[in-house]
Amino acid sequence: MAEIVAAFGAPHTPHFPDLVARLGPDCEVARLYAELRRNIQEVSPDVIIVFDSDHLNTFFFDNLPTFAVGAAEITSGPNDGTKMPNYKLRIDAHLAMKAHSHGIEKGFDISLTQEFQVDHSVLVPLHFLTPDMQIPVVPIFINGLCPPLPAAKRCHALGRMIRDMVDSWPHATRVAVLASGSFSLEVGGPQIPHGKRSGVPDPDWCRLVQTRLKMAEVDDLLNEATSGRMLRAGNVGGELLNWIALLGVIGERKPRFIESQLDHGHAYGVWRWD
Amino acid sequence: MSVYGINKVCWLTLHDKAFRDELKRDPSKALAALPLDDEERRLLLAGEVGRLHDLGAHGFLLSHLSRFELFGLTVVTYSERMRAAKTALEDAAKRDERGT
Repeated sequence: MAEIVAAFGAPHTPHFPDLVARLGPDCEVARLYAELRRNIQEVSPDVIIVFDSDHLNTFFFDNLPTFAVGAAEITSGPNDGTKMPNYKLRIDAHLAMKAHSHGIEKGFDISLTQEFQVDHSVLVPLHFLTPDMQIPVVPIFINGLCPPLPAAKRCHALGRMIRDMVDSWPHATRVAVLASGSFSLEVGGPQIPHGKRSGVPDPDWCRLVQTRLKMAEVDDLLNEATSGRMLRAGNVGGELLNWIALLGVIGERKPRFIESQLDHGHAYGVWRWD
Repeated sequence: MSVYGINKVCWLTLHDKAFRDELKRDPSKALAALPLDDEERRLLLAGEVGRLHDLGAHGFLLSHLSRFELFGLTVVTYSERMRAAKTALEDAAKRDERGT
């Protein structure tokens, strides 16, 4: 039977691949991603389910899903001009189709896409965590950028549904989960600092979210992470919903590792129970 | 006023290099075929990103305009104009009222 073996949370700041290429493996960003990579290598998953918020690159307002599963055999990117290598990324289409059908069966009206590319929000974490791109993924997209955002409790329930789906998967598959995104970040909106394209409007919220994660205070976080609260933390503050879906998968477990970069409004986390 | 056309211009700016080049070369001509009303077209050509955000355009998408320095925008002028706009939270509430 399939099992969830570990979970990871990571940022996807677009300039990090270039930054680390310039500063080398001893810089803070490289060190934090390396901690996650070491853990991924130790648990050796067969597939990674990725909760991600597309940045209006895979999808657009002509057809904007609240939840979607990508179930092609392969995808590629980044499709948004991010300065990083271009990758082809294998998808476990079999498991992805199961996520779609299981979701529909359980009352989640998830969209399905079978031909798509992905942007930096999927590929920046994988660039650092699985740079040979040999572990197939199942991308599950959650709208974290375009209000109205889905409710935190709904995203948590989505995660629980994914855990049930994995539990019922009749193959000996080791599944890891990755949540991609920030807790407080404004890109191009009114809360940016003067002379900048992005900023962190609410480091206090970032600090609180990190505490909730560290102490596994899931119910508190679900109650606090209202749409309004997330949007006050930035126009991409809804990326927290990916981490909340992750919590739905793993239950009330404390992370083995969590460290934030408050000046970036994000954190790096590892959950293991082996 | 749909706002869709403004977001579409921003999206094309990132994803369609030929369109982006045309925007640099002849902004009015490049916008001619897009579904914009007169006010949206005027605000785009003037680089009034704060006003466009107030109409409901997405800040993340609008930032593509400064990334490629279109409509005379620099990072500084972009941030100055955008900081005068309503936040995404206020904008979401307004959009709900408008039904757009």
